[in-house]
Amino acid sequence: MENITKKEINYPYLTQPVEIYERENGHKIVLAHKEGGLVNVSSWVKTGSINETDADNGISHFLEHLMFKGTHKHKAGYFDRTLEAKGAIVNAATWKDYTFYYVTLPKGPDNAYLKEAIELHADMMLDPVIPEEEIGPAFKLGDDNVSQKRERHVVIEEIRMRQDQPWTKIYNSTNFNMYSKHPYKRDVIGFPETIASIPRETILNYYKTHYTPNNITTIVAGDFDTKEVLELVCKGFDFKGRANFENPVHELDNPVNEPKYIELKGKINTGFAITGWLGPVASDLKENIALEIVNIVLGEGQSSRLYQNLIEKASEPVFNIVTTDFYNFKDGGNFFVQANYKAEQKDRALELINKELTAFLNGDMTEREFNKAKKKLKARFAESAETVSDIAENIGYYMTVCGDLNLVEQYNSTLEEITIDTVNTIANKYLDLNHAVTTVLLPE
Amino acid sequence: MERIILDNKIPLVLKENKNTPRHALCFYFKITEPEKKAGIYTILNRLFLQGTKNRDAHTLAQELDENAIDCYSEMKQDFIRFKLQCLNEDFEKGLEILADIIKNSTLDDFNKEVIKLKGEIQAELDEPKTMAMNAFYSHIFKEHPYGHTYTNILRDIDSITKADVQAAYKSLVEHSPKVISLVGDFGGEDVTGLLKKYFQDIKNNTDCVINNAVPELEKTEIVKVTKDDASQAQIIQGWRVPTIFDKDYAAIMVMNTLLGASGLSSRLFLELRDKKGLAYVVRSSYEIYDHSALFNVYIATEPKNIKTSLEGFKIELDKVKNIPVSETELQNAKNNLMGKRQFFTETNLQQSGLMAYYEDKGLGADFEQRFNSMINDVTVEDIQRVANAYITDKYVLTVLAPQKYLKEM
Repeated sequence: MENITKKEINYPYLTQPVEIYERENGHKIVLAHKEGGLVNVSSWVKTGSINETDADNGISHFLEHLMFKGTHKHKAGYFDRTLEAKGAIVNAATWKDYTFYYVTLPKGPDNAYLKEAIELHADMMLDPVIPEEEIGPAFKLGDDNVSQKRERHVVIEEIRMRQDQPWTKIYNSTNFNMYSKHPYKRDVIGFPETIASIPRETILNYYKTHYTPNNITTIVAGDFDTKEVLELVCKGFDFKGRANFENPVHELDNPVNEPKYIELKGKINTGFAITGWLGPVASDLKENIALEIVNIVLGEGQSSRLYQNLIEKASEPVFNIVTTDFYNFKDGGNFFVQANYKAEQKDRALELINKELTAFLNGDMTEREFNKAKKKLKARFAESAETVSDIAENIGYYMTVCGDLNLVEQYNSTLEEITIDTVNTIANKYLDLNHAVTTVLLPE
Repeated sequence: MERIILDNKIPLVLKENKNTPRHALCFYFKITEPEKKAGIYTILNRLFLQGTKNRDAHTLAQELDENAIDCYSEMKQDFIRFKLQCLNEDFEKGLEILADIIKNSTLDDFNKEVIKLKGEIQAELDEPKTMAMNAFYSHIFKEHPYGHTYTNILRDIDSITKADVQAAYKSLVEHSPKVISLVGDFGGEDVTGLLKKYFQDIKNNTDCVINNAVPELEKTEIVKVTKDDASQAQIIQGWRVPTIFDKDYAAIMVMNTLLGASGLSSRLFLELRDKKGLAYVVRSSYEIYDHSALFNVYIATEPKNIKTSLEGFKIELDKVKNIPVSETELQNAKNNLMGKRQFFTETNLQQSGLMAYYEDKGLGADFEQRFNSMINDVTVEDIQRVANAYITDKYVLTVLAPQKYLKEM
């Protein structure tokens, strides 16, 4: 057996510690034990739109689609057909910091399905062919005479789908305007023009550059024998000496200096708005927890401030929906306020949101609101320990985005120690109204 | 699994899962009196979290959140169900709040809730997919309550009175057949005793006959919805098919799986997405209600592909009708369907939900255990037979697209 290091982490609500193995080449394997008939096998690759430029924007996501198009051992379709015939859910996702591929399925008699899933998953991750005929020929957008419509068109349809979603439209605009240089400014899915024309060679090179041992964490969650599964993963993930990739360090952007406002129009009946701020790096547990608390108090659920003050207690109806959201990213998360309102009341809506934020930033969060948020965050761990998919996804996030699974262990104690004053200080550090970018979408 | 009839005649189905941190309870109230105006039960359902005689809306929301208790009601075509999920140690607290909501909701916020609902519907209808689905359901079910979609609610909502909603509430609590299911790690706790304590005074109505037949679909109906700035056309084609009580239920389930519901390996996915590049989302679905069911195919595609997509649907549907599926494909679809059940029943809440669902339908909470043998019995001939029997020219086709593409259709 090869030289391999091992660490253990106590994961809340799991009966056994989670094991982290690191191989000499840098490939990491995490095993999480949970009783039950279902297992989850996944690999998280440390690449997403963070590694893209204007020229190849969308390549990480396009590659994710093409990874399913066969290996030298198995033709396109074999992976999906074989595993789905065992009751598997098979899919993948691409985001700014990562791309991940997963299979969730019954472990089968004597763990036979699990073993087959590991073999096929490893084969797909390490030996994709990315055949030209599955990508389909490059074409010019708007050309109606394209004969071979293949995966390029599928991804372009996915882009079209998003163009029709009002929330996605304004999210993209706000996101783009929050950054000056950082690659996070780009939409992960890219543009139809790029997807229509990007050559196979470029995609293959991108794969070879980023799908390296040090960039991949493979996670198995469920009920299995550690030694057997560890050996299978190591055997399947034979990188054959593939060189590692040193991930570039991106300079963090400063937030905008004065409020930025963008107005879009569409054939709709109501008004939409998203205001966004740059937040802390994902590995700063305390600051991330603080903004998670702010998120719950301000804008999560019916007991939240924005809902209570702007919808429930409103003297006249202005808002249909008002919520907040907090996304965690390696080089700094994003905090958003999202609202849907009567279109003619746009100015009033934005003014009311600002008033609520100002009051909050002046420190009027109550002890009761603060404790509610803490309790909700604690219960979230119980929730995420209920399914093998959620356990694996949580582990994947900490390993890939934060680069550290120890944070899971520290989460509850950090949460316990945080004070209302700390949360207020951190909220003021990030959610300054002068640093906000707002996009609204209004009826034409 | 254990089935107990409580003193108030409500069946309680219980399952203990050791080492799970949260209890999950479902409480079903079957709708026995179909609503005369679209939206009555929708408003009632929303008012369940808007205040009781003991707690106003804010206190209720605050108390649930402070204890990390998930408690909400959901309105479906045939029932309103309450779901309660909380850490084991908070179970009694959760039950007390749930009982308060079920028994003591004041409906005082009726006017406010109507305004909120209208606003939310308008926001929803700004999504093209929602617009298209809205048109589809209201046409395939006509004036039947199953067709009470967003636009029908907007049409009727101003004529709905608080008295209408109060009557619906009374009917639900007093007259509807009910079911409770509970899954969790009880650790010796007397859960039956607790349920008696909080729900003893809610009576079950076991011999209720619901007259809610759905009018037949007589012919092909094509519904066009204009959305001039849509980047994609939304296409839904659907047939009325037998529901879960029918002998053909299992065969339709398998047919749906192999046609468009198994994931990345279904026929529609392979043919329309992988080979023709027509869509990112293409699938089929089998939607089951008490008095009807639908078999639908759906695709979202560039508007100029409408014709090709409809032809693609026809080719695949004709294939299932005319060419027997291979034994391998049939077996793969069955295995997919049976294997995925584990995925849908992984958490306590999912298990509790499914047990109550089957019990409510009168199929027995253990229906899931009979499911596999029903699926295994489906033959190649069954698939061809149900495809021919039910995929006929009596369907509703809804297409949302910019005007110029709809004209060309």
